[in-house]
Amino acid sequence: MEKEPLVGLVFFPAFDWCISPDHPERQERLLYTRDQIQEEGLFDHPRLKEFRPRLAAPEEILRTHVVLPSLERNVTESHRIAAGGTMVAADLVVDGVVDRAFALLRPPGHHANRIVHGARGFCMINNEAIMVDHLRHRLGPDLRIAIVDTDAHHADGTQDIFYNDPGVLHISLHQDGRTLYPGTGFVSERGGPGAYGQTVNIPLPPGTGDQGMLLALEEVVLPILEEWQPDLVINAAGQDNHFSDPITNMGFSAQGYARLTELLKPDVVVLEGGYSIESALPYINVGLLLALAGLDYSRVREPGGVPVRESRDLIRQVAATCREVRELWRTRHEVDLKCVFGPGPFFERHRQIHYDTDQIFEGQRESIRLCSECPGWRLVITASTRSRTPAAAVLLPWKPCERCLGEARAQYEELLEDESFSQVVWQDPSSALQDEKSGRE
Amino acid sequence: MYAIGIDVGGTHTDAALLKESQVAALAKVPTDHGDLFASTRQALEEIWRHYPGDGPVRLQLSTTLSTNAVVEGRGVPTRVVAVPGPGVNLKSLGLPFTVHELQGYIDHRGREAAPLDPAELKGLRALLGTGEGEAVAVVGKFSQRNPSHEQQIAAELTQWYRGTITLGHRLSGRANFPRRMMTAFLNASVAQQQLEFAAMWRRVLEDLDIPEEDVLVLKADGGTMNLADSSERPIETILSGPAASTMGAQALTEREEGSYVIVDIGGTTTDLAVVVDGEVLYERDGAVISGYRTLVPAVLTRSVGLGGDSELHFSADGKITIGPRRAGAPLCLGGKELTPTDAVTALELADVGSRGKAVQALAERAGEFGLTWRELAERILEAFIDQLCAAVRSLYSELENMPLYTVRDVLNPPDLSPQAVVGLGAPAPVFIPRLAQALGLRYEVLPFSAGANAIGAAAAAVTLSLTLHADTELARLTIPELGCREPIERPLFFDLDKARSLAADRLKELGRARGCGEGAEIYVVEEESFQMVRGFHTVGQRHMVRTQLRPQVRRVRG
Ligand SMILES: [Zn+2]
Ligand SMILES: [Zn+2]
Repeated sequence: MEKEPLVGLVFFPAFDWCISPDHPERQERLLYTRDQIQEEGLFDHPRLKEFRPRLAAPEEILRTHVVLPSLERNVTESHRIAAGGTMVAADLVVDGVVDRAFALLRPPGHHANRIVHGARGFCMINNEAIMVDHLRHRLGPDLRIAIVDTDAHHADGTQDIFYNDPGVLHISLHQDGRTLYPGTGFVSERGGPGAYGQTVNIPLPPGTGDQGMLLALEEVVLPILEEWQPDLVINAAGQDNHFSDPITNMGFSAQGYARLTELLKPDVVVLEGGYSIESALPYINVGLLLALAGLDYSRVREPGGVPVRESRDLIRQVAATCREVRELWRTRHEVDLKCVFGPGPFFERHRQIHYDTDQIFEGQRESIRLCSECPGWRLVITASTRSRTPAAAVLLPWKPCERCLGEARAQYEELLEDESFSQVVWQDPSSALQDEKSGRE
Repeated sequence: MYAIGIDVGGTHTDAALLKESQVAALAKVPTDHGDLFASTRQALEEIWRHYPGDGPVRLQLSTTLSTNAVVEGRGVPTRVVAVPGPGVNLKSLGLPFTVHELQGYIDHRGREAAPLDPAELKGLRALLGTGEGEAVAVVGKFSQRNPSHEQQIAAELTQWYRGTITLGHRLSGRANFPRRMMTAFLNASVAQQQLEFAAMWRRVLEDLDIPEEDVLVLKADGGTMNLADSSERPIETILSGPAASTMGAQALTEREEGSYVIVDIGGTTTDLAVVVDGEVLYERDGAVISGYRTLVPAVLTRSVGLGGDSELHFSADGKITIGPRRAGAPLCLGGKELTPTDAVTALELADVGSRGKAVQALAERAGEFGLTWRELAERILEAFIDQLCAAVRSLYSELENMPLYTVRDVLNPPDLSPQAVVGLGAPAPVFIPRLAQALGLRYEVLPFSAGANAIGAAAAAVTLSLTLHADTELARLTIPELGCREPIERPLFFDLDKARSLAADRLKELGRARGCGEGAEIYVVEEESFQMVRGFHTVGQRHMVRTQLRPQVRRVRG
């Protein structure tokens, strides 16, 4: 596979879809990328093969998400095609049709949480997460999947979904949350009681460029992957860390991105953000495709722009973060979880979640059953400014123990009797269907 | 009005004489590969005897001259001068020529991101020499969006270069720099030969007293162009043979609308083409010839190594596979090996040569597998149909995997599925009904099956196409095929409708200059239009319109 890999490309620019005509997520976003890939002749290249996306089925989305008040109300066809295309890309790899795949598509997904009241951070449903659950559904729950999210924004949605999932290692490199949406992604966010330490955040100072990004990759990401030994590595490849991006303050270049891809060797790459649609995306994506295919990318350069030079101070700061993250990783099993999550039987957290794209506020209370046999079942009570009556969701992990399964079921039965909830949802990722008490919306 | 069509094929050169939309005569002579001109000339003489001379006649030629030159690599020595700018390393593309790279760069919107270097331009003289008997292709990345670099290089070259100069942007308005280089390279390398060919025809025309404008050359898109154009854009004449057959099938079929697959069964190969809702499908990017990917507009055809004279292979358990190589003449016609044609003859499904020889050979072979000769012959037919079925299915599955870029298309993908098989070629009456049954489709076996290619050549008409790129923020429009890049006077009002009508006007103008006949219509083949937004404000629009001038399909009767 090292020699002459065949790359599968699922390209879906959604030329007829936008959040609104002047929104960064608009028809034009991947136009210049299409032009550049076409002009470079890459659609023709023998090491590259293009595939059509497909529509994700409702049950494939509901394996991962709880969509309130309903799937139909929130999720459009474009979202379903982006999620479906991401699953196509993963299937191509696990079926051996190609060696690596790139889901170059929109709309993006990494800010979408498990509970979905609407769109946040331009995202409605989480493409990578739906893909991961799809793969486990096909290949079994023991699959170990690492997601490396290199978007400039913290992948808070993906983190939320896999926060308590021991089958997934989630690493996010992003611009420091104190300086950028969504304001999270600090090194102290390390995962829930069922997967402590498997949420790895590497916040980078504004202005970090190729040197800093590659330093974090080589000093933290690659060693952690080497140790954790995933079956598959997914790169959530947001391209808004480019020096010309209008909504972030990072300094990454097309060369840097290609080098990162070459080093990371991801099995599946999924586009996330990236809004420098003329000056960055065409070149990053050409470089990324070349690097994935093992071809020479040394001549890919953005005309006109000059990548930032990072100061010695900035690099020192990145190096310090790297040391801290590696230390946290090394000692993750030594932490007394009782000190972090309390004595039990439940760990509870309360959150306010802002859906900036759809202007919704959500209040959420989540209880996780602390369990030594399994990651523990969960109860989420959620209400939003859109659906004022609270809804409840009982969430099973991929491999629940008998006790958790019994408790969760009893909780669900009890909630069904409770008139104060507009909806009560039962989510078992290993079963295709989501049980829902409907008709009370 | 008469029309003579001549198609130079691998074994035969066919000629057809049409009077209006009636087939008046057909002729056939063997192809002399050493002298294609002589074969064509001979076919013309054969058919000319049927021309009563009571009306003007048009002569339409489908030749394999350029195809052969490309396949056999017999063009003149050709250099490629390119302006690639940053991007893919050209050395990793495996191109069959070396590229001389110049500095400079046009970006994806057609803006000059870096100028040419005047010193490098001057340096071309030392590199290329006088170019006597040679050719040069000049190609820039994104030259279809802004041809100015190619034009500047051409301006330098024309001062001293004597060989053929081909500019990439004139050949196609489509994106794909490697294909543009390939197309321009091939075009430059075969241009000299096409010029000589045209000169020879001019002499023939004088003898026959046919004016030059009444001689047309067939193109890969199934249309025609005049001799002068063919010398400038000879690469467009490649693969005109399969295109001629397809046009012939379209002219002869009773189905005016509907979707069907055209199956042309020959001795060595079977060619497939696809019609959807009455329109023949074209290659998405352009013709692929001998593995070379080009931007030449072409009818989509797929050739399978399966024909009446194909080799038969028997596995130990009696399983039969056919082709892809040709065995030679069938036994029943004095050949040395058993072929599908022998099975057909033995079963009395067609009357070709000696049935006795075919039966005897089958009987000898059948013994090995414990079969009767009749059972073996039936199995050969079944294997032929199985393989043909697989080829048709694989073509449609290839088409059904064509990428889709809009939500609308993904939700309602275009329906390409055929309702019928339209068959031609000598073995068609035997195989087409069986193929149609296996595919669960209706069928039609065309009359004049063996001469459909020549009929297609005769029925073809001038086609022209051009691409308009407009960028209203930059207030620039480009029509690469015409070599023009001009300002947009009132960019605010230049919407897609304007782009469409401007493209149509320019195409009509071009059509008048090229003597396009009555009944030619303008089709928008492809278009797209985007709002360009910067910082929450619409700053302009980007339109692309690809138009084609083509005649309505001409119906031909027996
Ligand atoms: Zn982002
Ligand atoms: Zn448990």
